Amino acid sequence: MRLYTELNEETFHARKLLAEWRDEKLINEEQYERLENETVCELRTTNIFLRLVFFFFTVVGVAAFGGLVAWSLLRDSSEPTIGIFLLIYAAVCYAIAERAASQANLYRYGIEEALAVCSVVLLCGGMGLALFSGRHLAPRELEFLVPAAGAVFSLWIWQRFGLWYALPAAMILIAWLPEYWTSSRWAQHVLIAALYAIGLVWVLAIRSRHRLDYLNSVYSLAEAFLWLGIYLAINLQLSVLTFRARWLIGDMRPPSEFRSWFYWATWVLIWCVPAVVLARGIRQKDRFVMAVGGVVSIVTFVTNKPYLGWTRHTWDPMILGVVLTGVVLWIRRWLARGPDGVRAGFTAARLSAKDKEWMNLTSSVLGLVSAPSTPTHGEDFRFGGGASGGGGAGGEF
Amino acid sequence: MTILARLEHWKAEGAISPEQHVYLASLYRGDLVSVFLELNLLLYAGVLAFVAGLGWTVTTWSKQLGDVLVLAVLSAILAACFWYCFSRAPEWSLTETLTPTAIFDYVLYLGCLVWVVELAYLENRFHVLSGQWDYYLLATAVVFFFLAYRFDNRFVLSLALSSLAGWFGLTISHWPSHQDATYRQCGLLYCVVIGITAVLLKQRGVKQHFFGTYLNVAANVLFWSLLSGVFQRDGHWIWSLALLIACGASLGWGLKRRQFVFVAYAAVYGYVGFSWILLRGIHDPTVALLYFVVTAIAMLVALVRIAHRFGASK
Repeated sequence: MRLYTELNEETFHARKLLAEWRDEKLINEEQYERLENETVCELRTTNIFLRLVFFFFTVVGVAAFGGLVAWSLLRDSSEPTIGIFLLIYAAVCYAIAERAASQANLYRYGIEEALAVCSVVLLCGGMGLALFSGRHLAPRELEFLVPAAGAVFSLWIWQRFGLWYALPAAMILIAWLPEYWTSSRWAQHVLIAALYAIGLVWVLAIRSRHRLDYLNSVYSLAEAFLWLGIYLAINLQLSVLTFRARWLIGDMRPPSEFRSWFYWATWVLIWCVPAVVLARGIRQKDRFVMAVGGVVSIVTFVTNKPYLGWTRHTWDPMILGVVLTGVVLWIRRWLARGPDGVRAGFTAARLSAKDKEWMNLTSSVLGLVSAPSTPTHGEDFRFGGGASGGGGAGGEF
Repeated sequence: MTILARLEHWKAEGAISPEQHVYLASLYRGDLVSVFLELNLLLYAGVLAFVAGLGWTVTTWSKQLGDVLVLAVLSAILAACFWYCFSRAPEWSLTETLTPTAIFDYVLYLGCLVWVVELAYLENRFHVLSGQWDYYLLATAVVFFFLAYRFDNRFVLSLALSSLAGWFGLTISHWPSHQDATYRQCGLLYCVVIGITAVLLKQRGVKQHFFGTYLNVAANVLFWSLLSGVFQRDGHWIWSLALLIACGASLGWGLKRRQFVFVAYAAVYGYVGFSWILLRGIHDPTVALLYFVVTAIAMLVALVRIAHRFGASK
């Protein structure tokens, strides 16, 4: 199913590891050069910056060419005709993407992936216009076929090209499906979680065969995304409508559109899922799954009060910050006290230069985005007497 | 051939030692996993959550708590953070220094963010500088620059650069006629100031590893300033020329130093700017769309050649 040969991808993976080991001084420069010459790879790749630029210009070119044809030749055509053009254009884009990858050996080069992504967008747009606009060639009940086709095609691209972001794209499209099948909100949540769970079972079944090859990281990321998707589907406080209505206007009552048993079942699940994900991540020593476990654990703490209908306090984030810091310091100390700073195969020490690079990048970016913001000239904010309670104090100072 | 098979093969032909083979194979199998990055990100999140809650609490409950208590608590946290940092920090060095303890950086971040909360509280409650927020930003930038260089910290350096940019912007807002042109000129002045500072410090060997942060911030502010000049209706030719020079310089720097982010800046900012100029008077959608088709392909061809020539494509 994959577009690139196993040998090519394995060799590419080996070259990346060699570069990492050289940066970490686990092998010397002489060894690196010798081993690099032994791992000649046919795939053509590029760095992240040029990859993004190639992606950008390919999308510009594809969009402009589509617009040019539509404007020049199909200006007075009906929507279904434009839809058919988009479907043909999607097929052309996909064919070029395949050719760019198989003939020119482009691998994560920006161009072939932009073409593949555009083909998904064009397919969805084309299906929507060709079948469900104007004269409605297909009944409305079949409208779910648009996101379904998009999801299936995204999954195909994920498997075929190995583009990690095609999987979350497919998951987003899958999340739209239940809206076409049922108006019941709780059933929609259950269906989404069930579809993701099916995907998870499939990934878990396949993953065990790839523990020690280059596909391990691909399936590790897929598993992490699917766990995250399941959690987001069952946490009712995070659904878009609930979020807007309850968090922004501060309404902390349990949402009434869900049946009581379902609501409380999801509350139990939002505590169970993080524990399961964390336990699995730790057992498998899988960093992506562990990271998702950590994130959903924090989200559970944050959404627990709204779930129970309790009042949020201004000091809640402080408590969360103290708890997080305390837990991290305890884990770090606990690991450091193990023999050679290792316990159960885990260490708090840095083993990879990539971790240091990520920390440098993160700290620089966080510094820029969390810069001190002050009221602009003429604008003022007031220290007040408490939004809720506050001993009868006024809202303004 | 899997990585483990390759390692076995390399050991057999003597390319790596048996010790290297054992270590690299165990590393690849995941016998030893580092949670360094995860723990550090959680510490970041913890500090940010704490300061967000602190700011929210102070904002909401200042009257009930009273100024003395609020300022005492904020000052105590601030003093404790800086005492910790100054007492634990190694002697200052021109070169990159390692953090003395695992939590050192996060205590410093906490101190910096609490400093911001305390300044905001002081001004809002006592109007010490009569709403002259630009002075606070300038003072904050000075303090953050000092702390960034004293403790060798990129996060605080980024905070300092942002505060300085805020000071430039806020100062202009007090001027009677602050227009886009003034902001643009100040943007350029900001680039010149931090650019010259970065070059001087690099030449003197002071924390040379900070140079990249300065350069990226300066390049982005410079390109945004020039683009805003290109977008204006009158007198845009001088800005177009300046944009052309900046793109050339960025491209040259990126290729010479193999820092391809600058090649990306030149390509994207340059394309946006010159597309705007060329399409300004064109009202026919066919011509405009044809322009984008042709230029996008041309840019791709040119960049693929550059990538191939300069080894960014393997």
